[in-house]
Formats: sequence, structure tokens, C-alpha cells
Amino acid sequence: MSFAEVFEKYPNRRYVMYGGKGGLGKTTFSAATAYYLAKKGKRVLVFSVDPQASLSDIFERDIFGQGNIEIMPNLFAREVDADRRIQDYQEEIRQKILSMYGMKKIPEEIESYIKASSAEPAMEESAIFDAVVDIVVKGDFDYYIYDLVPLGHALYYLSMAAVYDAWLDKITGLREQMREYDQAIATMKREDGTEEDEIYNELMYIKDRIGASSKIMTDTDKTAFFFVLTPEEMTVVDTEKAAKLFAKYNVPLAGYVVNRVIDRNLLKENIPAYLKNRIEMQAGALDLIDNTFGTSVLSRVPEFDSEIKGLDTIRDLAEVMFEEKFS
Amino acid sequence: MADKENEKKKKKSGGVVGFFRDFTYGMATHGMARHALKTRSSMEHLFILITMGDMLGIPILPPYYSLRLLPHVVPQITTWKRRMLREKDFVESMY
Repeated sequence: MSFAEVFEKYPNRRYVMYGGKGGLGKTTFSAATAYYLAKKGKRVLVFSVDPQASLSDIFERDIFGQGNIEIMPNLFAREVDADRRIQDYQEEIRQKILSMYGMKKIPEEIESYIKASSAEPAMEESAIFDAVVDIVVKGDFDYYIYDLVPLGHALYYLSMAAVYDAWLDKITGLREQMREYDQAIATMKREDGTEEDEIYNELMYIKDRIGASSKIMTDTDKTAFFFVLTPEEMTVVDTEKAAKLFAKYNVPLAGYVVNRVIDRNLLKENIPAYLKNRIEMQAGALDLIDNTFGTSVLSRVPEFDSEIKGLDTIRDLAEVMFEEKFS
Repeated sequence: MADKENEKKKKKSGGVVGFFRDFTYGMATHGMARHALKTRSSMEHLFILITMGDMLGIPILPPYYSLRLLPHVVPQITTWKRRMLREKDFVESMY
């Protein structure tokens, strides 16, 4: 199957993700896919939550923390500023406390708790995945292309989500038990019904959000997850491992794309030994890739003679990936 | 809020019927209600412990989401902390 066929055959797969080790070209392929789909008349948002995001670089425009920016007709890009999002969120909590209790100032110990929370390692992941839910639930684009942070984060989050979910069930149970006590006390004291439990509602909201964010990565109908790899033995082995892990968390793997393949025809020319050796090495790795991933390999993309940067080179790449000419 | 309280009081302590109702409540169920209230408040403290444990150095819920719960427990934080730290072993105090 080719890339174009995957998109034609599964029009419902609206969440597109490229995963792989750092520096293999996830952002590049995200941009090229966005370009292709936009040219096909789809409204596309390509977004990233990585603090070292490179969408700004590849589109040659500073879009960091500025919302959805139109790059060309139908193609929008966005880089989420996770730090600012955390700060805004903490401020929102402070305001809520102040207005709920008519306070002028947040009590010392509460304030220090809020401040300390941003130092927690899980804070950023949670904030990032929560931001993704916000972007995706709006649903105002045909396609969402998620330029993932390196693999570890996504896996870490997915396993975290599973643990939190079980944990939330437990404390929700405790909350329900507390509610039964409230009702019993009210009956004994012959008071009218009890007030609604705000905390219970919050727990339900949290459960929904965590569910929604892991669903974006694991929805077999709507998600297409592609792996990027290069023809090097170590990368192939790593990718195979990662693919197995992702499969364990039910991430629907849609295919593999091989990047930076050096043209074999160069061997016929008078080239330095260094290049010859690299081509031979790649040939071995490419065989390994074919044996390991078989027909799931959707495309082999050559090593370009310049960096993919700006819409012109993105178009060149999209033409190779999707085997089609764009004007 | 104050009106509601007054109404409740009126309902509870009006006339002879009201007197007997309060009397039987005091005799029969007041103790039970007190006990239930005590259990309920222990549960409340247990709940805060497992969601806001960080405050005592026990991290559990991802802070991103526990912050959402924080506003709702603000009034209880001080009594909770006092209670948890007063006990020789706060795990004992959970129940």
C-alpha cells in the first residue's frame, strides 16, 4: 500500500501521528502530510506541544504560542506553549479559590502547594495531553496532525493514563460512599436533600479528560500512527521494540516510512569509498526493514540534497511521499 | 442562607409535635448521627490525603488534575493537616 492509498481507504482516520526516535524526520513528514492533505482540499491543523518544537523552523515562521496560524490555504499550524498553559491554569485555580471563598489573598500553604505543583515531572505531560484534548475536541478541522514529542513521552503518558484511570475509579468509589453517609445523616437529622458534590463532578470531569486524551492515540477508527525510521540496523531494532510497546497500548499502527535513503544508482558512478560503504550498509538495513515490517512500509524517501525547510521543499517531499505532482 | 437556617429551625422546634419530634431525635438518633458525622469527616480527611498527599510529602495524583480539586477542599486543609500531623502515626488516624 502507498501513503495516498492509506488516506483514501481510511477517510475516518483524522488523527495522524508520526512517531520515532528524535531527529529522524517526524516534523518533516508531519509537514509534508499536512501539505498533501491541504492540497487535496482538506482543512488541516498540524500541531506540536514540544517545547523545542520545530514547526516554526520548518514553516520558517515564528508561531510559538500564537494559536492556529494559516500557513497556506487549508493548512494551519500551531505550537502550544506548555509552560504558559501551566501558568494560566494555576492562575485559574487561584482565581477560583479567591472567588469561591471571597478571599483577598491565597493562604500561604495553599499558595506554596500550587507553586510546587509546577515542579512535578508529571505536570508537563498531563498539561500537554490536556492541551491536545482541547485542540482536538473543537473539531473544526478535517485532519489533525500531531507532531509528537519523542516516543518515551507518549508511552509514559499512555501507561500513566491507565494507572490514573484505575485510581480514579477507586477514589470515586470513596466519594460515593461519603455521599451515602451524607444522605444517611440528612435522613437522621430529618433535613432535606443533600447538596450536589462538586468534588465528585470534578472527578468525573478528570476521568473524561484522561480517557479522551488516551483515546486520541488509541482510537482504531480515527487514529493513524506512522513510524519514521532510517535505514540503520540499530534504528530498525529500536523501532520494532517501540512498535511492540505501542501495540500493547492499542495504538493503531498504520505503517512505516523510511527516511534518508541514499540513491543506489550512485554506485555506478565514481563515488568516494565512504559513500559506497554507506550505501552498502543501507542496503543491508533495507533488507532487514522489508523482512521485519514487510508491506507495512509505505514509502522510502531519499536523502535530499538540502534541508527540508519552507513550503517549496515541503512540496518536493510530499511529491515523493504521495507519488503525485503538486502545482 | 440565614433565612434557610431560620426556616429549618422553625420547622424543627415548632409546637408540641415539634418538641416530641426533637425529643425522640435526641433520644434515638442523635448518637447515631454524631457517629456518622465523625466517620464522614474521617473519610473526608482520607480523601484529601489521597488527593493532596503532596502537602505532607506523599505524591499520588498527578498535580495537574489534583489542582482542579484544590479549591473545593481549601476550608478543610488546615484541620486536615492538624489532624494528620497530630497523630503519632497518621496512618492510624485514617480510620
